[in-house]
Amino acid sequence: MSENIPEDLKYTDTHEWVKMKNEKTVVVGITDHAQKELTDIVFVELPPVGKEFKKGEEMCIVESIKSVSEIYAPVSGKIVAVNKELEDSPEKINSSPYSEGWLVEIELSNRDEINSLLDAESYKKLLSK
Amino acid sequence: MIFLPLRSPLHEIHVELGAKFTIFAGHEMPLQYTSIRDEHLNVRKNVGLFDVSHMGNVIIEGKDAARLLSLATLEDANRIEKNKGQYTAILREDGTIIDDTIFLHLPDEKYALVPNAGRSEVVTNWLNDVAEKNNLDAKAEDVSREYVILAIQGPKSRDLLRKIIDIDIENMPLFGCDYAKVNGVDCIASRTGYTGELGFELQITPPENSKKVFYDILNVGKEFNVKPIGLGARDTLRLEKCFLLAGNEFEGGRTPLEAGLSWLINWDHDFIGKNALLRQKQDGKYERLTCLECIDKGIPRHSYMVEKNGKIVGKVSSGNISPCLNKGIALAYIKPEYREVGSILDIVIRDKKIRAKVVKPPFVSKDWARENP
Repeated sequence: MSENIPEDLKYTDTHEWVKMKNEKTVVVGITDHAQKELTDIVFVELPPVGKEFKKGEEMCIVESIKSVSEIYAPVSGKIVAVNKELEDSPEKINSSPYSEGWLVEIELSNRDEINSLLDAESYKKLLSK
Repeated sequence: MIFLPLRSPLHEIHVELGAKFTIFAGHEMPLQYTSIRDEHLNVRKNVGLFDVSHMGNVIIEGKDAARLLSLATLEDANRIEKNKGQYTAILREDGTIIDDTIFLHLPDEKYALVPNAGRSEVVTNWLNDVAEKNNLDAKAEDVSREYVILAIQGPKSRDLLRKIIDIDIENMPLFGCDYAKVNGVDCIASRTGYTGELGFELQITPPENSKKVFYDILNVGKEFNVKPIGLGARDTLRLEKCFLLAGNEFEGGRTPLEAGLSWLINWDHDFIGKNALLRQKQDGKYERLTCLECIDKGIPRHSYMVEKNGKIVGKVSSGNISPCLNKGIALAYIKPEYREVGSILDIVIRDKKIRAKVVKPPFVSKDWARENP
């Protein structure tokens, strides 16, 4: 199955994607590969705006019919926006993982962490293992 | 020692059809082919084909076969005529359920029993022990590895099957059964299932023969929009109808009174576990399986606690989203004083509580597809 892995995003080995919105804020979601693995996403639990997370901490819950998955903060920082649309339409993560299915926006507390994320090519390699 | 999961004789076909797999009771079976939701709705609205070869097959023979089944199940098997079947349960002396099962009274006097996945050996040994202790001329044989069971379920299942089966399924009643040929392949056909829809099951031996039948059903069924259906949708379909899943609803030992199966108990005959059930019935203070429909957003799941005013009153045995209702639904064992229809309880999901209402079974009525075209 062909995977959609946009070149301009950064990735984690736990299948989150990260997009620079501006110098200090990133948008975060789950990858096309992750949504395909889960299929049938039926519920999303989002964190409160203002909450701070360290990189790697559990930040959201995404539930498919078959399973409950934790989504980890790919970078440290403060939640500045959440995608409220997902509360009524969690299936947008399936239909549009990289745009309408975004999860949260994080204000970076350490910009250098961006450099530790995977680029598209490395993420692609990870999936082919 | 490594225990490898058993694979269905149809495994390669499932791979070819793009299935994702899951391990269920020691069997590697299709979880889904496309999407659990799509597969679920296709069974409610059209027709679906399931490989349920993980289910067991036990044949019971001998002149006392009916007496054995009467003693070992909630039903008086003498009441069940040839070409008819019965859904029932097999109990221990203490009234707890060993397995729930369907037995079919075949036209040649034999009985075909379908235990749950991974339960046929336990059930077979139990039945043979009961036969021996009671000097009955009856023998149970576990033939699970020699059969594949295919289920054809959904409002269009009869229209599909009519085209390839050699018996009159027009007039086959619910739980009816017979020997049949499907495009020349021998099988035991019954009007049974686990979806709450019109549906049929075919027990096919030898297993190899099931491949042709599987393909024939997919080909002939094109005009009815047939789709292969995995265990994911099988689970949500049965949950919407409040059918029990042995591993979930019988966990820890449950009696038919607790599991909401009192309607199956034929009190007018003697059976193993009857005295224990009579005592429990008189006492009355036992948890009962209860249907909860979520008011707030959230997905209840197996083993989540249920509370009333902060006090634990029960536990979810099965839960998920209902693809038809688009709401969380759950079966939960609840203390008797908290389960009145209309009561509002809290289901604890991680660090949150969501409200759920006690409702009458089933969650999804038989008219749902007609009312939601």
